[in-house]
Amino acid sequence: MANYFNTLPLRDQLHQLGQAEFMNNSEFADGVDALKGKKIVIVGCGAQGLNQGLNLRDSGLDVSYTLRKEAIEQKRDSWKNATDNNFTVGTYEELIPTADLVINLTPDKQHTAVINAVMPLMKEGATLSYSHGFNIVEEGMQIRKDITVIMVAPKCPGSEVRAEYVRGFGVPTLIAVHPENDPQGKGWAEAKAYCVGTGGHRAGVLKSSFVAEVKSDLMGEQTILCGLLQTGSILSFDKMVEQGIDAGYASKLVQYGVEVITEALKHGGVSGMMDRLSNPAKIKAFELSEELKDIMRPLFQKHQDDIISGEFSKTMMEDWANGDANLLKWRAETGETAFEKTPAGDVKIAEQEYFDNYTLMVAFIRAGVELAFETMVEAGIKPESAYYESLHETPLIANTIARKKLFEMNRVISDTAEYGCYLFDQACKPLLAEFMKTVQTDLVGKNYNAGKDGSVDNAQLVEINDILRNHEVEIVGRKLRQAMTAMKAIKTV
Amino acid sequence: MIEPVVHIANLTVQHQYHVVLQDLNWQIEPGQHWLIGGRSGTGKTTLAQAIAGHVPYSGILNVNFDNHSPLPAEVLYVSNWYQFTNLEGDKNFYYQQRYNKHQTNDTLTVQAEFLHFAKEKHLQFDDVKPYFETFGFENVHDTQLIELSSGEHKKLQLLKALWLKPQVLIIDQPYTGLDRQSRQELNQAFDDLAQAGVTLILISNDQTVPTCINHFAEIQEGQLFEVSSQAAFSREKERARKPLPHFLQKSPRITSQTMVKMSNVDVRYGEKEVLKKISWEVKAGEKWLLQGHNGSGKSTLLSLINGDHPQAYANDIVLFGKQRGSGESIWDIKAHLGIISPEMHWYFDQSAKVWQSVASGFFDSVGLFRNLSFENQQFLDQVLDFFDLKEDKNKLLNTLPLGKQRLALLARTVIKNPELLILDEPCQGLDYEQTQHFNAVVDELCTYGKTLIYVGHFETQLPSCLEKKIILDKGIVQSIEDILQYA
Repeated sequence: MANYFNTLPLRDQLHQLGQAEFMNNSEFADGVDALKGKKIVIVGCGAQGLNQGLNLRDSGLDVSYTLRKEAIEQKRDSWKNATDNNFTVGTYEELIPTADLVINLTPDKQHTAVINAVMPLMKEGATLSYSHGFNIVEEGMQIRKDITVIMVAPKCPGSEVRAEYVRGFGVPTLIAVHPENDPQGKGWAEAKAYCVGTGGHRAGVLKSSFVAEVKSDLMGEQTILCGLLQTGSILSFDKMVEQGIDAGYASKLVQYGVEVITEALKHGGVSGMMDRLSNPAKIKAFELSEELKDIMRPLFQKHQDDIISGEFSKTMMEDWANGDANLLKWRAETGETAFEKTPAGDVKIAEQEYFDNYTLMVAFIRAGVELAFETMVEAGIKPESAYYESLHETPLIANTIARKKLFEMNRVISDTAEYGCYLFDQACKPLLAEFMKTVQTDLVGKNYNAGKDGSVDNAQLVEINDILRNHEVEIVGRKLRQAMTAMKAIKTV
Repeated sequence: MIEPVVHIANLTVQHQYHVVLQDLNWQIEPGQHWLIGGRSGTGKTTLAQAIAGHVPYSGILNVNFDNHSPLPAEVLYVSNWYQFTNLEGDKNFYYQQRYNKHQTNDTLTVQAEFLHFAKEKHLQFDDVKPYFETFGFENVHDTQLIELSSGEHKKLQLLKALWLKPQVLIIDQPYTGLDRQSRQELNQAFDDLAQAGVTLILISNDQTVPTCINHFAEIQEGQLFEVSSQAAFSREKERARKPLPHFLQKSPRITSQTMVKMSNVDVRYGEKEVLKKISWEVKAGEKWLLQGHNGSGKSTLLSLINGDHPQAYANDIVLFGKQRGSGESIWDIKAHLGIISPEMHWYFDQSAKVWQSVASGFFDSVGLFRNLSFENQQFLDQVLDFFDLKEDKNKLLNTLPLGKQRLALLARTVIKNPELLILDEPCQGLDYEQTQHFNAVVDELCTYGKTLIYVGHFETQLPSCLEKKIILDKGIVQSIEDILQYA
């Protein structure tokens, strides 16, 4: 199988990369009609599979699950998830031939095997849905020409997809139709109906393409979302311990700090996050993040280039073929870092203290979000897509770190994200070695405002606020956030 | 000289810009046990939280522990509101989650929770076991925290307090969600604690309190005043009777004469049967009382009616004339009914303003995500006025006293004038007078052709419109009968 994107002529590559349109509510007026009475069979019953299925059924659709024979015979968790919630469960042979819509919600790595098993059983003219385009775009999977291929990708973990639905809302969702597989022209209608069935239409839907989804998703997850949060967390912790800050305090500040800081990001974008700092700290964070952007820009660009060219997926798939040798090695190394091994101390840290004592992380996040966004947009990805794959997802990933540190983050995210995260982390740390030498505990571990009188230069502050608020990620973000103002605040601390 | 157990002088507590307690003085001597009562919203809970060290304050607040006592030198505060966390320390639950089955267990089992508490407080697990039967916790080892009903959660925290026997024990609304028998047993346990040397502070307006209580006080204008007995507590102002808004005087459109029809309904979690062979029919216009002990399956039964329970798809249930699982969405079902329950209140979006919470009832959503039409805006204003919530409409829901929060949620359930009202322990946590007030409103609402299912424990504290009764016991229908007349 050849990389699909690389088989396209340039004009087509640019066209597909540039797909992103924020959809108007009125486009969902038909509700779930396009799927009403149709037979929906979901392959896989993990977090996304189960929760999407519960939503679709509660929207009045006919949902059942198909699992591999072994999973059923051995009554694995996926089988129990489905049967305990009173869904019909059957083998591929039993259920796929009856399906009008087959939803593939298995892990990326299994896609080729799953599709090869499922496709011959699908009936003429049925629809196949993905929630991530890697298999189609990077692995170049060819789908039978009578089959319609769509994508519906909720931009949140499965548990959130369910929680937001039952409270009458939804999570932002990206939908797409594969241009090579829409023989009857029904792809968009079905993708929209599926999206309504999961509640996504209430929180903002982006009309995208398989190519745009894959190239932006990979970029976001390996740079700002996982890579930089990992690098920034480890460097911050090590710096504090080196400077004599209590290790338990340092561990807690780092573990929960990203979550508290990015909660402000979620509500008010980069400028909302920066506004949580005092004026002098904001100016300092601004200067630091400018410096960080200069240092890290070439690395962000290299990641984007390797993703666009297919170099990244090629290397990663070689590691898949090699029994995940590199992935497993790097995973083990992450488990051995001092941050990972130091439990959070039994100290109270007030919400504002996370900002005042962790100015460095605010700078990291501004630099990472803006760099990822800028690099994606330069590569031809639309600002709306770039926003979802950078700023929007950062608080969600930060939430996983707050739960159980980096190990948890890497467990929850996809294998693809995890692999890219380690690549970034390894390249980024040496790049920041000189910079970190200039960092003292006033930026990480202690209150930046201590001993300062709080005065700033008016003109400088106005200029900085202006730059922050008028960045393109802020302008597009304001529009998109309006559609999801109601998203529930994450409360863990 | 014997030191007072608690010495408070010039205590001031502010919530942001709002002064709750101002220059409050209070002295609790050894052997004293206090009941704090009076109107809601006066700062009773805030005072308790200050003593327990949960809120910042200014002034003097000393707790003098007895070094010779075998009891732990500790102030334990049991809050009215109970929030549990999952294994990952996350409080982000939604109330329907207890009905969905996930194989990965997200919360601790009740037993694990006890063991965790034992380890933290250096207690012996054997010491709590005698309480299990009294409080109905025999199946602790295989029950997940999230599976507990609201009444059981309250008992769980009371149990921990009885087990720990701290030198100072403060309990906010100890009787919330408890049935009559549990209340008596609890009062006996309180007396035993007092005997053992625990200083008790209870916050409640309930009539039946333990015999050990020997001092009474209430808070007015941020200061504490001792009163002679609970009969002397200030009462809530009598509610001015208002006419029901015109749109609520219209009978709702009835889609089917049979609202609910269940035949041989079973619900089980693994080996555990929660409901067994339930058959029940609710006809349009009927007013039902649903009763049963804590954990008897009442909330699960109701969750089948409002579309929240996934196992409804595997049972024979007809709702509003439509067979469940025949292509209807849960939003189609919810459009017919308004529901309030303690669980829903727990997990309600606490960051919503009062008017938003009420208006979300138009769309059956938890929180408001859409704009209101002109007509709906009119209805909202009328309902806010009727429930005396106008002044509070821009406040956050969770800043109101509990009684008002419940009224706001009741307003939410009726705002679309639904055919069926489901009120699951709507008065849990409310005191006698708040309950009377609440039920008077329910009676008024129900005069215009509404169908009602009401869950409540105390037969003296029910709306008078109820006419039929179904009693559940351990997941089985124990009886279905007519209610003739309650005094």
